[in-house]
This record gives sequence, C-alpha cells and structure tokens, in this order.
Amino acid sequence: MSALLELRGIRAAHERITVLHGVDLDVAAGQVVALLGPNGAGKTTTLRVAAGVHPVESGQLVLGGRDMTGADPRDLARAGVCLIPEGRGVFPNLSVRDNLLMMTFTGRGREEIEEIAFARFPVLARRAGQAAGTLSGGEQQMLALARGLATDPAVLLLDELSMGLAPLVVGRLYEQVGEIARQGVAVLVVEQFAAAVLDICDHAAVLVRGRVERQGHPDGGLRAELSALYLGSST
Amino acid sequence: MTSTETRADRFVRELTVLKIPDPAAGRAALWLRAGAALMTIGVVLGVSAYFISHNTSDPLVQNDALTLGLAAVAGSVVGSALFLRYSLTGFLRYWMARQSYDVELLADRLLERELRHDPTGTDAAPR
Repeated sequence: MSALLELRGIRAAHERITVLHGVDLDVAAGQVVALLGPNGAGKTTTLRVAAGVHPVESGQLVLGGRDMTGADPRDLARAGVCLIPEGRGVFPNLSVRDNLLMMTFTGRGREEIEEIAFARFPVLARRAGQAAGTLSGGEQQMLALARGLATDPAVLLLDELSMGLAPLVVGRLYEQVGEIARQGVAVLVVEQFAAAVLDICDHAAVLVRGRVERQGHPDGGLRAELSALYLGSST
Repeated sequence: MTSTETRADRFVRELTVLKIPDPAAGRAALWLRAGAALMTIGVVLGVSAYFISHNTSDPLVQNDALTLGLAAVAGSVVGSALFLRYSLTGFLRYWMARQSYDVELLADRLLERELRHDPTGTDAAPR
C-alpha cells in the first residue's frame, strides 16, 4: 500500500541551526515505523515536521499523496494527523473525564469518546473522576493515547511513549499501539530506547545528527548495528 | 462516503479537498507583536510629547507636540485593541468550551432530578 505519510528530503532548523539534513521516511496505513536515535538526533523535530507544527527549510511533507508542506497544523489535525507529544500532553488539573471532554472539538460526542477510551483502557473508566495529574505515569500515557484515539486519527505520531515508565508498562502500551496500527492507522513512533519498540514495529529508521543513517526491517542485523550507531562508531 | 471506505481512504479524500490557506493569511503572532509594539510606542511618544510641549514656549512646537501626543494616544488604543484581540482569543475559546460543558452538566442534573421526582408527591427527596 502507498504511504500515508512521506517525508521527502526534509531540512529543518531551530533558530539558525540546522538539525535535520534531508530526512526521508515513509509510513503506510497499518504500519508502525520506529524512528530511533540518541538524544539530540532530531527525532522530535522530525515528528513535529510530520505534524506540520515545525517549519521546514526545504523538502516536502506529503500526506495521502498530496504535498502538504506549509499547511496549517490545525487543518492537518482535523484531517486526521494526531501528535502525542513527549510528556504526555494531558491537563493535570482536569479530571480524566474532562481531559476526554476536551476532545469533543473533533465533533464527536462525549459519550462516544468515553466509549472509545474506556473500551481500550478500562482502568481510565475507574479513574474517570480523578485529576489526571494524580494518575500513575502509565495511566497518564494511556489517557494521552485515548485522547489521541478520540480524534479518529489516520496518522498517529508518538513521541517517547516510554519516558519515565517501567518496562512492563511500556510493553503493554506498545501492544496497544500495535493494535491501533492493525486497525489501519499509520503510526510513527519516536523512541530513544530501541528495545521498547522494535518488537512491534514493521520498519525502523535510525537518526543520527539529523540524518537517517540506517533503515529497514527490525531484524537481527539492524538490532546489531544499533548500539554502534548510538555510540557513534561503525561496525 | 461509502461504507467500505477505510480510514486511510477517507484521509486521502479529505486531504484532496482540503484547501491549504496562504500561510501569510494566518499571522496572529505578528499582529500580537504589532499590537504590543504599538501600545508601547504610543505610551513612549505620549510621554515624550508632554515633555516637548513643556520645555518650549514656542507655540508652533507646542502644536506639533499636541499632534504627536494625540497620535500616540490613538496608536496606543489601537495597539491595545490588537493585543487584547489576539491574546484573549485562545483563552476565551477554552473558557467557552468549559462554560458549555458546565451548562450541559447542569441541564443533565436538573433533567435527572425531574425524572426521579414522583408526581404523586409521595417522595421525600427535595427538588
């Protein structure tokens, strides 16, 4: 199947410092693509470019076969591009129910959104009246995912899902991500800890200093090369 | 839309018809900065005009200072309006969403209480 999300020769900068030097990446519907790499490699910037919230210096952001470079991120979000940022992106002072309510801007009703969220994450139903800031890290990440799912995404962009979570919780969350992808959603996951995501992804790319150094199926060969790429030496 | 249409198909269809606005049209941040700048410049020029007019006995210079002062006040008012318009929009959007929710919740509670009420008047629950 053709890619829903394509990044073509993306160059992007923070202030005047170029951090992405021609990134190419494709994500098809139903596919989980992991973007791995050490801290400061440009992973989050790549994700923000894909969501349309970070401007590009050159290159193309192609969605559904159409060049959407420079499009308003709100239009992309309405069409079905959903970014779940690093740090969970929930409102800590609002209850779980109110956090979900915020997603009614998509046109879906409160009941429908809660039905989707609570069916996938039953623990959230038990915490419905609780302030989001008092949930555990894993539960907050579930809430962030549930809020994302409420937008009925076609392209889901996840930033550092595993941050600050126990490996067991991370494993469960990534199982859910795999489930979401199987429903036809194109998922791009940015992850610093490769082991967390390699088991469920269909394709992995390793970003080092703003360049995709290696990409392919997450088989033994790629896994073996990862540590060398992270450490900055060749195998 | 057909029933066999997948989410990916719908995504492609919606993007095809999506009108990409000219990025120059959405310059909210620029207007916000312009408003703040105009507001500040207006105040500075107004104060300057005051000192210019009080440090001279030449009526022509005083006339210029008056004109400058009035223009500065006008600029400051316009700048304040621009600043308020673009800084409050985001806040008010969420405030309105919250208000709508509270009203809906209140309506639900009143309706529920109404439905629970026994019209024969034998229930002890306060209305």
